[in-house]
Amino acid sequence: MINVCCRAIAQLRACRPIPEPQVRELCYKAREILIEEGNVVSVHAPVTICGDIHGQFHDLMELFRVGGDVPDTNYLFMGDFVDRGFYSLESFLLLLCLKVRYPDRITLIRGNHESRQITTVYGFYDECIRKYGSANVWRYCCEVFDYLALGALVLGATTDVPPAASDNENTQSTLPPEDEEVESEVLNANGDILSKTLRRRFAGLSMMSHHTNSSRISPAPDVDVPSPPDHPASSLPLQSSPSSQSLFTPPTSTTGAVLCVHGGLSPLIETVDKIRLIDRKQEVPHEGAMCDLLWSDPDEIEGWGLSPRGAGFLFGADIVRHFNHNNDLSLVARAHQLVMEGYKEMFDKTIVTVWSAPNYCYRCGNVAAILELGEDGSNGGCIARANGDQGRREPVGTDGSEGGSGVLWNLASPGRRYRVFEAAPQGTRGMPAKKPVGEYFL
Amino acid sequence: MPGFPTLQRIGDVKTHRFEEPVKKIYDGSDVTFFLTSLAYRDIMTFMLQLNRSVVPRKQDVDGTARVVTWPLKSKDVAYSDSVERLRALLTRLSKLVDDVPLDTGPRRFGNVSFRKWHQLVEDQRDNLLNECLPEWLAPAYPELASYLLGSFGSAQRLDYGTGHELSFLAFLGGLWKLGFFPEADAGVEERGIVLGVFEQYLSLIRKLIVTYTLEPAGSHGVWGLDDNSFLPYVFGAAQLAPAITESDDTPTEGSLPGAPEPSWVSKSNLVEKEKDKNMYFSAIAFIYDIKKGPFWEHSPVLYDISGINGGWGKINKGMIKMFNAEVLSKFPVVQHFLFGSLFRWEKDAEARPPPPTTHATSQPLRTPTAASPSTTRPGEAPWAGTPSQPPLGFVNGVTQAPWASRGPAPPPPRSGYAAAQRRTLPPLTENWSKHEQNRPTERK
Repeated sequence: MINVCCRAIAQLRACRPIPEPQVRELCYKAREILIEEGNVVSVHAPVTICGDIHGQFHDLMELFRVGGDVPDTNYLFMGDFVDRGFYSLESFLLLLCLKVRYPDRITLIRGNHESRQITTVYGFYDECIRKYGSANVWRYCCEVFDYLALGALVLGATTDVPPAASDNENTQSTLPPEDEEVESEVLNANGDILSKTLRRRFAGLSMMSHHTNSSRISPAPDVDVPSPPDHPASSLPLQSSPSSQSLFTPPTSTTGAVLCVHGGLSPLIETVDKIRLIDRKQEVPHEGAMCDLLWSDPDEIEGWGLSPRGAGFLFGADIVRHFNHNNDLSLVARAHQLVMEGYKEMFDKTIVTVWSAPNYCYRCGNVAAILELGEDGSNGGCIARANGDQGRREPVGTDGSEGGSGVLWNLASPGRRYRVFEAAPQGTRGMPAKKPVGEYFL
Repeated sequence: MPGFPTLQRIGDVKTHRFEEPVKKIYDGSDVTFFLTSLAYRDIMTFMLQLNRSVVPRKQDVDGTARVVTWPLKSKDVAYSDSVERLRALLTRLSKLVDDVPLDTGPRRFGNVSFRKWHQLVEDQRDNLLNECLPEWLAPAYPELASYLLGSFGSAQRLDYGTGHELSFLAFLGGLWKLGFFPEADAGVEERGIVLGVFEQYLSLIRKLIVTYTLEPAGSHGVWGLDDNSFLPYVFGAAQLAPAITESDDTPTEGSLPGAPEPSWVSKSNLVEKEKDKNMYFSAIAFIYDIKKGPFWEHSPVLYDISGINGGWGKINKGMIKMFNAEVLSKFPVVQHFLFGSLFRWEKDAEARPPPPTTHATSQPLRTPTAASPSTTRPGEAPWAGTPSQPPLGFVNGVTQAPWASRGPAPPPPRSGYAAAQRRTLPPLTENWSKHEQNRPTERK
């Protein structure tokens, strides 16, 4: 299978569809792997989080060029692989092949477009018919869609901005002066830093008194949970680190987990554990928790609101703040909405939209982004389960600078590196033969 | 003169009872009814009437046959006073765009200033109509205005698509029915409408799209004909069809001698050359303006059509069929159409069941998995399969749920999650529920 897979990967990387029997086999194999995953996949940092692709194959190649190739870089794709673009088929099958070949290196979760009904409307169905002359391949793909996870939980991310690939040799040189801590930075496709934000400093960084709840996130069934550390992780020097970082790496703080979903939150889901109870192996329903996770959008409102999309809901800052607090999350990462800058942090950095389809639909003029989260090496490589009394906390709330009503002390957000990139140059994409047109013109 | 059907005028406007147009289409079965309604008949009749008017004509001038064509800006098309009034209206609307500065604040995509422009038009509605329409039409303003205001895209969603274009066609059709356009020989007024009014409307739309970065409504991405428009492809193909006499049928194949080749659409320099003469190329030129990338990749449907051998007559015929199937028969497009006294939500007694054509059977069914060759039951009209189409989603650059058809539902409670009462969604159609039962069984 590995050989077959490698050949298919090579062919798909060249943007050539693989034959129907191979698609069938690939989809079967992919389902075997996906069925073992929980509704919420646990992913360990470091990981690179990506948003909508929408069949923009050449831009997906650009994404891999900018973010590093699989399996060297861990990836988490938040759905909407298909529809609208010309190469939904090649894009999705390539990602699926990579999933089969490197199941631990790439995580695929479901977007609202990974659905039979949506793909018959927004292009993927037409594309399969056009490229294969029958709906078989479309059908195989839809069967895979039903098995995709609904979300992912990134654990063990550091508060530091992750070391850039190019500075691996010399991590220290990128460190900011002692009294400044970079919270996020934005790099262009060449790795040049475009901007940085510094972490706000607070008196009493490890506010624990506020928070005595124990974790409400139970272990994912598909992951071994290390026993909780018996000492706070935040300021202990490294004993021995299995990671490649040197002993001189300064201590970092553990952050809350990062929940990744395609759309957003649901009024029916108050804890991450609730997501695990969904029977996900079905077509995306028109309503309910599963639908909301794939369809909702954050908005500048209070509480919940109606979505103009007709599915899912709008949710405001208060909803995210409480959800993160209750679940020991520091961040929700989602996709689902075009943003001109490629990413958009909202609600006091409690939620971020990541969009990975540059110049969307060939016309929107937007850049794309991916989000890199680094690995927290401070805890001897153990994944610190959020347990309510470790990790640094920062206030998130109405004004954020001091405590008071309306402010929650949430776990520190992870250091975030955004890499933004533009649409791939057109290069030498050959012009295909004209295909027979639909029956309107017979 | 053989009777090529034209849109009937209303006998006496003075005694006519106008109605505020209302929404009638709420689900797929309403689309089925719509396709046999008086409103549908009138829209199709008017569209075909306009289409036929711009097909080149063989005319007999002093015993010598000569072919007259109707390119854009043709000197042979004299605009009536009515046409000029509408052109003035569109010019006014276009000037208003210059008066609304762009919002420089943060935005996702569409510029919220479009809402200001739209509001401005709404506020000045009666003034604008007063200035541009004769006084005797005043009783018709509310009805006409709802079609006019529905023509410029959605202020809420900041998008524009074929549903809005359809609304403008209805605005013109309504004016026709009211006798706003003078009686003239077949095609004369219609040509003024297509070349003088409709093309200017398209210019305004293009300006709105570019200025406020309006998003494609209901975008199928690369798999639709065009992100925003449909009718310029119909009328533009007609302009290049072979010449006919007034008694000939509208051509269904062949091209006007010397017409640009359909294959020219993929060469931007040739498109540039033709765009000022022809509506089809003008629409293609706009695609080149707003899209970056290989033409065959971002516009594969138009690219495929450019390989057709049967000439512009054949393309015109195909475009009409496609307009009928992809615009008038599509729930997400026509669900926003409003019905009143001019376009009546009433069964057309003479409506023939549409022939079991092509588009009814060639499109993906709501759930193609569940598609069987014989979805039609005995006694059921052959076109019954058409509206079993998945209702397409209206889009705001974002995807909208195709099943989102009913009015707004009550929001969930502000506080608390779990007890949230969910809204009722439209009943699932048969195909859909069938599919639900047919869920993959590999779970075991």
